[in-house]
Amino acid sequence: MDGDWDEVSRILFPPPGVHALPTLVTTMTFDTSQELLWTGNDYGRVTAFVGSELQRYTSFKAHLASDGLVRQILVNDKGVVILGSRDVHMALRRGVPLWHIRHDEMKDLRCMSFTSKGTTEIIVAGFQDVMLVIDLNKGEVVKQVSTEHQYSIMKRGRYICAATKTGSVNLLDPVSFAVVKTWNAHSALINDMDAQHDFIVTCGYSLRQGQNYMLDPFLNVFDIKQMSSMPPIPFPAGAAYVRMHPRMLTTSIVVSQTGQMHVVDLMNPNTSNVRQANVLTYLSMFEIAPAGEAMALADPECYIHLWGSHSKLHFVDLPTPIEFATPEEPMPPIECTQDTPLNSIGLPYYRELLASAWPDLVSDVGAPPVRFDAKFINGLKPTDFGLYGRNTRGFRRNQAEDTRNVNMSANAGLKAPKFLSEKARESAKHDAKS
Amino acid sequence: ELNTELFRELENGRVARLLLKLGTVNERQEFDGDRSWSENGERYMLKLFRDYVFHQVDGNGNPVLDIGHMIRCLSRLDAGTDERICLTSRDEQTSFVVSYKELKKQLGNAFGELLKGSKQG
Repeated sequence: MDGDWDEVSRILFPPPGVHALPTLVTTMTFDTSQELLWTGNDYGRVTAFVGSELQRYTSFKAHLASDGLVRQILVNDKGVVILGSRDVHMALRRGVPLWHIRHDEMKDLRCMSFTSKGTTEIIVAGFQDVMLVIDLNKGEVVKQVSTEHQYSIMKRGRYICAATKTGSVNLLDPVSFAVVKTWNAHSALINDMDAQHDFIVTCGYSLRQGQNYMLDPFLNVFDIKQMSSMPPIPFPAGAAYVRMHPRMLTTSIVVSQTGQMHVVDLMNPNTSNVRQANVLTYLSMFEIAPAGEAMALADPECYIHLWGSHSKLHFVDLPTPIEFATPEEPMPPIECTQDTPLNSIGLPYYRELLASAWPDLVSDVGAPPVRFDAKFINGLKPTDFGLYGRNTRGFRRNQAEDTRNVNMSANAGLKAPKFLSEKARESAKHDAKS
Repeated sequence: ELNTELFRELENGRVARLLLKLGTVNERQEFDGDRSWSENGERYMLKLFRDYVFHQVDGNGNPVLDIGHMIRCLSRLDAGTDERICLTSRDEQTSFVVSYKELKKQLGNAFGELLKGSKQG
């Protein structure tokens, strides 16, 4: 971390309603191709923030509020994938939904990861005995994998690194999803984990005196090349969150709950760079941008803090432009009179069939009006605006009625002579039915 | 003179047909509880588009009845242009950036579904 890093902006996470109290950020992810920070809340809502000012961009519901919090967000070139406990939603960055999967085997999902197929396939897992493989292009579950282990965090490195409930990390083969190696990282549970290239780093808890969960005062490191754990890196303040630096391959950033940040070289742990984030209570989340030039921190006061260098802060190296609404050219106001022709506004240039094109539908024009029987009319109460009462006619509301036939059955005793055209129509109808 | 009259009537018919389509699709009771019309569904934007076109307000929340805005939006929907608009929900919590092209496709799908369910279709 350079010397000029500081808190660049701080925003209050938008509350779930106009008069509602603010709530916690449940997950954060930096976009990999645009200057966006994606966040999730307790009510299934996803909100994106733009650039160093963290201005609000799109915001949408990934699942119903009753289905709980947003667990995790992944991004690929097409859009964002949002994991809830019971469903997976994919949307364009602009918020337009692409697909939504709610599967019977989705009971308590916690985490997901890309697989061997780049960013076109994910595996989702959680506190349940089945993992599901989802094709992101089709939006379909393509495989179910049963698992003995229940996972809370997943990160894709050379293997899919999956943290269990009990403090160990399983290295899964990204093709077969079989457990290649189990590493017992912490004695009680894992609080945070990251994986990059050759390393897995974890922060976790152990049980002290058999009853208190305490953050371990060290960072655990696993070397994937050697398939063995490395000596833990001491962090006396209690290591709560950790991320590998995306550019400096052996560097990790460790953060304590009180906001102490250390930049540590795993190969040379004695030299570290220390910073203090200004938080009133404690930190609840930490994330680093893909360019390594920005960090986001969240606290229980529901603030998001953005750290970086004032002059160089950016999320991705070659950002694609964010798609905002097309700026509207000012139009001269139209005087609207009875005679203003609607075509004075004009239609934009087009090549395809217009949306207003009406399909070929046969319409019955000029049928006699519906007749109401006297019993129904008498059952209504007269008021100055008309009659009202219950719908006792035995029809649905707004049900279309074939008034031609009704009139005919009413006059069943007297057969009125028919025009030739009427006869032809009836025989045509009979033919169509039989 | 005759051409002007003709174009005028063609335009009226086009606008009317588009409005008829929007009318058949929006706020149908059968769609209550249908996931694709719910807040995370792909048709939620058609509802928000209706508000965007017809329920415009000024800074004080008073209605703005700008026929130019209404017809312009409808024409762009009709042609399905690439222009993008920002649609915001009534509680101001949800905002989508969506193109007329995408909205046109949604309207086509929704109307097509009604057509399939109708007797004549």
